[in-house]
Amino acid sequence: MSRSAEAALLLTASVVAAFGTALIGFTRGVGLDAQVAVTFMVFVASFGTVHLALRRWAPAANPLLFPLAAFLTAIGLTEVYRLDPELGSLQRWSLLISGVAVAGVLALLRGEGVVVLRRYRYLFLMAGAGLLLLPLLPDSFWIHGIEANGSRLWVGFDLPVERSVSFQPGELAKLALAIFLASYLADHHLAMATTRRMIGRLSVPPFRQFGPIVLAALAAFAVLVYQRDLGASLLVFALFVGAIYLATGKLAYVVAGGALVAAGGLVAYQLFGHVQRRVSAWLDPFADFSDAGYQVAQGLFALGSGSLTGSGIGLGRPDLIPAAATDFIFAAVAEEMGVAGAIAVITGYALVVAIGFGIALRTRDLFHKFLAASLTLVFAVQTLLIMAGVLRLLPITGITLPFMSYGGTSLLANMILLALLARISHGART
Amino acid sequence: MNGPIRHLAAVMFAGFALMVGAVTYLQVIKGPDFRDDSRNLRVVTGRAGKERGTIITADGVILARSQADPADPQQFTREYPEGPNYAHAVGYATLIFGAAGLEDSQSAALVSDRDATISGVLNAILGGDIRPRGLRLTLVDSLQRAAIDALGGQRGAVVALDPDTGAILAMVSSPSFSPASLQGRNAGPAGNDLASDPTEPLRNRAIDATYPPGSTFKIVTAAAALEAGMAGGGTTFPDPIALELPGSTATIRNYDGRVCSNGESVTLTQAFVSSCNTTFAALGMQVGAANLVATAEAFGFNQPIPFDMETLTAVIPPAASFANDLPGVAQSAIGQRDVRATLLQMALVAAAVANDGEIMEPYLVQEVFNSEGVIEAEMEPAVWRRAISPATAAALTDLMEKAVDAGTGFRAQIEGVGIAGKTGTAEVPDEAPDLWFVGFGPVTADEEAPRIVVAVVVEDGGAGGEDGTGGAVAAPIARAVLEAFLGR
Repeated sequence: MSRSAEAALLLTASVVAAFGTALIGFTRGVGLDAQVAVTFMVFVASFGTVHLALRRWAPAANPLLFPLAAFLTAIGLTEVYRLDPELGSLQRWSLLISGVAVAGVLALLRGEGVVVLRRYRYLFLMAGAGLLLLPLLPDSFWIHGIEANGSRLWVGFDLPVERSVSFQPGELAKLALAIFLASYLADHHLAMATTRRMIGRLSVPPFRQFGPIVLAALAAFAVLVYQRDLGASLLVFALFVGAIYLATGKLAYVVAGGALVAAGGLVAYQLFGHVQRRVSAWLDPFADFSDAGYQVAQGLFALGSGSLTGSGIGLGRPDLIPAAATDFIFAAVAEEMGVAGAIAVITGYALVVAIGFGIALRTRDLFHKFLAASLTLVFAVQTLLIMAGVLRLLPITGITLPFMSYGGTSLLANMILLALLARISHGART
Repeated sequence: MNGPIRHLAAVMFAGFALMVGAVTYLQVIKGPDFRDDSRNLRVVTGRAGKERGTIITADGVILARSQADPADPQQFTREYPEGPNYAHAVGYATLIFGAAGLEDSQSAALVSDRDATISGVLNAILGGDIRPRGLRLTLVDSLQRAAIDALGGQRGAVVALDPDTGAILAMVSSPSFSPASLQGRNAGPAGNDLASDPTEPLRNRAIDATYPPGSTFKIVTAAAALEAGMAGGGTTFPDPIALELPGSTATIRNYDGRVCSNGESVTLTQAFVSSCNTTFAALGMQVGAANLVATAEAFGFNQPIPFDMETLTAVIPPAASFANDLPGVAQSAIGQRDVRATLLQMALVAAAVANDGEIMEPYLVQEVFNSEGVIEAEMEPAVWRRAISPATAAALTDLMEKAVDAGTGFRAQIEGVGIAGKTGTAEVPDEAPDLWFVGFGPVTADEEAPRIVVAVVVEDGGAGGEDGTGGAVAAPIARAVLEAFLGR
């Protein structure tokens, strides 16, 4: 594999995206229109920028990461555009911005690579915590939180112009927290894995090493619980527990983490009405079909109607699912592209995750190793959490499906996540 | 440091594998349940405007067909050339008013296979026929029209069937409606008028309504006595002007308020022919609740009828509920109190008598044919249940023939042809009576001769009003259908 192969794959993905837009034009009865060309050009511009940046600043980077992202984005954008052309065109802007952002990240890291980030660990911790706190800002500020569906996880700017801009800081916070964790653990993992203190007959982890990390986890968790953002809480918690396991190799921390999640879940269930609704909708979506269970049930109808090969793009009724373009994009894709399309998408994610863990395994530097593994972990957990919600394996947690859900922050954050992985893989080979 | 990474990777891949399994389970294995769920709007909206199969009668009259829109060949309009004549049997499938009749129950055959199911995809790949199938029904146009004309707009229903196979030859419910008026996006006002009409034109009174069967239920009571060996045609009973009911001040009188015969004694045959309530109420108490209920259930009461459409179930309360209620048994024996039957159920009672005691499963769909007219499936007649012994059936045939020859059913007589039947005039609180006739013909020794069972119910006295009787109103309707069948 080479950079040229990457270029060819990225071009193919751009054609796929244009083809998707064209199909929707035909099913809507407008035929071929300028939107097809716009989609194609946005893909070529965005991923072309990424490709050129990789050639210039990380030529030895893994050549499959961005083509996979491009294919997933192509399928996701097609479905978002199919559900609402307005959202589709907004998503294209996000893709352009994300392409430039990836190039920017690669340019910033061109010298020493991601090692630069290691020095600013507490800056990233503060940035991560700050981002998580942003949605709590009161409505009267020019930058303030926005509450939606019982959770406060959006931030809006009031601009002088008519339009206001909003984003989900939680998506970016996960990157900052992963960088902090990798950096901290690279310095302290030995002490954490070996030092023991005994209190009576109990062996206790050393507080000196664990203190900051536990405090950080609790702070992040508390903020997210306060915002009632179930999905992001779980994601951040999985990140912390996973990173500690990476550093110590001790299963006990995972078990303890799992117990904490279970306890936290129980508390959340007792405290929050919207959590109870989600759990009851998960256990039996048809019991309260017209209310709490409506979304999950509509998702199941969409899946069942899609069957083997799907209704065809633009020919199903995924518009019947509430939040089809965001939380339930996977159900929309599965309805119109069938179980065949759904498995292709799952495979795409699994390949990204495989490449990510591969990079972590091959790189020698501990910080690189931890960073690659944490980023991959957070990506995999996010994908699995929302898919499991749609497929009724878990309650709906309300997070985005990377690259596919409508949402600019999510696309931007996951593109940057891939940029970091790509830069690490470049360093691992030179 | 790579061990933990490998472990985490393994857990994540297990997660992805689980997703593949879950999505396959939900889309392919459980998929059809979700796809066909009535709350899944895709079912209704998806089929609107799609091509549906043609429905024709046994003699080839087109009842329903889809015509392509000249402007858009992918859009079809459903046409019902016979209008209201077959509305209840054929039914409708609409966006706004849901679906009914065969258009609903047979939609699996009537809509195209061009979907994403395994069989649909395989068919498409292998070049199989994925166009919608058509249905040939058992209904015969001449009989259907004879029944409609004879009913003459009275509220009620007619069912005719072949007792040897169970094929439904006519199914009419009145008042009727035009299925086309429920179609399309502008059907709202007309459809709402139909849905809220107090005469309930959308209801199929042959299967979706139950009535007290009145004196037609005496066939069942007589069968219970004959099967138990408690009485024969010549058995005599007292002939009071009013039957006193034990443990109660109520009495049972005959329809005209007079004695049944000479005021001294009456035979079972005489009582059946003249439809004497006093005799049959007494007979009912004599055979007892257990025998009566068991015989009614043998005829199909309290059992769902296997049919091409959903039907209501005829009801007789359990024997235990009559433990201290002899008056209840007496009233049930003449088809009153809490006994309720669909018209189809009473047609099947007559069919059992006509068919040596066996009831065939009733059916409306004779054949399913593909878009090229090749038959894909054909109905095989099947026995539903044995109601009574052949000897009882023969004895009942004799009673019913006499009831037409020289009794209340005389208006069903056809010269030179043996017709068996029983009338009913069922009391309904605050309304004129419901009028019945169930019967069959011709009664001949010829085993091969085709025969027909005809059952008629007319609500609220029909044209006869307060004085309407089954003999005066329902029997002539049955005769008209019998004549049409016999080619007269």
